[in-house]
Amino acid sequence: MSLILPTSPPESGRVARWLASTDHKAIGILYVLTGMVFMLLGGLEALAMRAQLARPNATLITAQTYNEVFTLHGTTMIFFVVMPMLLGFSNYLVPLQIGARDMAFPRLNAFGLWLTVMGGLLLYASVLVGPADAGWFSYAPLSEKPYAMGEGTDFWIAALLFAGFGTTLTAINVIVTAIRYRAPGMGLWQMPMFAWMAFVNAFIITFALPCLSAALLMLEVDRRLGGHFFSHGGSALLWQHYFWLFGHPEVYIMILPAWGIISEVIPVFSRKPIFGYEFVAGSSVAIALLSFAVYAHHMFVVGLGRPVNLAFAASTMLIAIPTGVKVANWVATLWKGSIRFELPMLYALAFIVQFTFGGVTGVSFAVLPIDWQVTDSYYVVAHMHYVLMGGTIFALLSGLHYYFPKVTGRHLTRSLGMWSFWLVTLGFNGVFLVQHALGLMGMPRRVYTYPDLPGWGLLNVLSTLSAGLLGVGMTMILWNILRSLRVGEVAGANPWNAWTLEWWCASPPPPGNFTDLPPIRSRRPLWDLAHPEDTDADRPRRHDQTHGHIRPEEREHHQ
Amino acid sequence: MSAAAAPSARRPDAYWGMAVFLVTDAVIFLLLLVAHAFLRRQGHGPGAGALSAAAMLPWSAALWASSAALVLAPRVRRAWASAALYGLGALLGAAFLLGQGLEYRHLLAQGHTVTSDLFFTGFYTLTALHGLHVFLGLPLLTALATLAARGRLTERRAGFREAATLYWHFVDAVWVVLYAALYVWGGP
Ligand code: HEM
Ligand SMILES: [Cu+2]
Repeated sequence: MSLILPTSPPESGRVARWLASTDHKAIGILYVLTGMVFMLLGGLEALAMRAQLARPNATLITAQTYNEVFTLHGTTMIFFVVMPMLLGFSNYLVPLQIGARDMAFPRLNAFGLWLTVMGGLLLYASVLVGPADAGWFSYAPLSEKPYAMGEGTDFWIAALLFAGFGTTLTAINVIVTAIRYRAPGMGLWQMPMFAWMAFVNAFIITFALPCLSAALLMLEVDRRLGGHFFSHGGSALLWQHYFWLFGHPEVYIMILPAWGIISEVIPVFSRKPIFGYEFVAGSSVAIALLSFAVYAHHMFVVGLGRPVNLAFAASTMLIAIPTGVKVANWVATLWKGSIRFELPMLYALAFIVQFTFGGVTGVSFAVLPIDWQVTDSYYVVAHMHYVLMGGTIFALLSGLHYYFPKVTGRHLTRSLGMWSFWLVTLGFNGVFLVQHALGLMGMPRRVYTYPDLPGWGLLNVLSTLSAGLLGVGMTMILWNILRSLRVGEVAGANPWNAWTLEWWCASPPPPGNFTDLPPIRSRRPLWDLAHPEDTDADRPRRHDQTHGHIRPEEREHHQ
Repeated sequence: MSAAAAPSARRPDAYWGMAVFLVTDAVIFLLLLVAHAFLRRQGHGPGAGALSAAAMLPWSAALWASSAALVLAPRVRRAWASAALYGLGALLGAAFLLGQGLEYRHLLAQGHTVTSDLFFTGFYTLTALHGLHVFLGLPLLTALATLAARGRLTERRAGFREAATLYWHFVDAVWVVLYAALYVWGGP
């Protein structure tokens, strides 16, 4: 709101200037850094769990500690790694992609960031009093007073309320920015794919996050004031309804911007415009609506009754359609493209394979008898990690490698990047592929140890060893980032020969982003500028006319 | 400002920002209300029977009247009149909070607490959350009144004015629903 405060603080140290900045780029970077710090914590927690699970009947950590660790791990990864990183990308990229100087509400934007950081600090402050131990889903009544006496759960609630409010502020910002601050000439249907997905995502956030807030408020009323929403006459199922009414859309909140990144990377490294732009963008809207209509597929086994189960099974299968449309469009974009196997592209390709795999296991859950069999087993753990890590995190890594030159002006080191890519990919699949089998063999999730049944020990030790590889790979990525900040090859404004607006300004972009903008008459303004003789504006459907074949002019842009 | 400034054709950004925020807020209220309506059947106490719609009506009317004051405030000609209307809005809001406090005291004296019954778990959660919204609105209205009195509620501050006004109307509208659902409706 228009109080008159200076936008940039008076002269002070460099760090202070960063922390007090309201520039969307600084905020975006700080979000990503926040995510990285918490990724380190969440990763260590994961390794602790895998260490405990390496052998049957192990007693490395106690059952109680294990519960606390998996609660911290899940909460950290979802709310303080994936969400901040994605919001960071949205903050950094949306104004650049639509040719704006900043977000609509810069100070609110900074406030949202600090609320999220505050939430993360609260979560980890709970370690001092004994953290929450009811899982990231905190099913009532396990999260209610008699079962969770300590204050850990109260910290957990506060942490999520803070972070959720911060996220909401970002969503508000993205919506108003995308509607009001697009460059002249850029219609909604001309927005780059990432901006589109961030825009749709902001609407999901708007409706989903308050469902969580409402549930958290009710839980806290129960815990602090002795209310009865979820126990003592209230309904434990009500928690599950409200939690998943948030929780399922949340998984789309986490995948939509990831799809956005993939939809930027694939065309650039295939030297083709994205195939079926309208379908890729439009199916997001379908998903946004459907995502609320499928939430009870997390509750197939609680006994909602046959008609309800069938309705949610059907809607769950339906949501695979717009999801599949996207995968089909990416593959069609690759088809007969002139593919450059740069690091961002490798991560994007791994994404497609792994995400598709995770989607297929997701659909298998929609078959009720299968879900009844494998729910709450390692099969679910495998599914969620294939979509969340194999999907979202791989997309984030793709985006990280793709946009690093824009953000810092330097390239990441390729050889180091290749090593880490293969370690991370092999490590990830090694950890989670075998968990499908474990789940089918009946190993339950959320257990701190297990009996020595045939095969279980072997598969678990494989999983744990791979987790080690994965950890090494992730550490190498971090090292690559730190190293390349100083010694990376200088990149220039448009190192990948991309055609969207963010590659128009210098790397890193100056304050205010743009001094001038090219005319925007199509989805690829920089292409139009480079090829006045054959612009997208004159031939908007070039891929239709060339039957998916790459055009000779595109091929020229091999670096 | 010239209080009669024509409403600009383009709503300021802050108005839309507030609108999106209020959507999220509405979802929270809606879910709390649904939970309440769903759970109150399982209560054992007198439930809505313990509340008096008539006793709460004057306080509610005060709150609704404050919205009317806010509608008039930007339309009157004189700056002082505009300021007075914003001030009146704040006073009426404060009066509502007073009424709510008295209502709480009355109910607590009768032994109706958050823990006593499912009906009251929901009742207190909903009304307290709403009361918090009213409470947070008071400084906004006071700021509007002060700015108007000093003639500084200019077009440059239209964003603040429209966002704060929208917020207040929302809070009042929520009370219409809550009053109907808690005080008037007999329950399922
Ligand atoms: C084709 C798309 C998808 C379908 C049909 C699908 C279906 C399902 C179903 C039915 C479950 C419940 C399994 C059970 O608990 O018995 C589930 C769990 C889960 N899914 Fe998906 N899913 C899909 C995509 C995704 C995506 C994109 C993500 C995240 C990026 C995701 C994350 C999760 C998580 C985290 C869980 C476990 C939640 C928990 O119990 O803690 N899913 N999925
Ligand atoms: Cu789901």
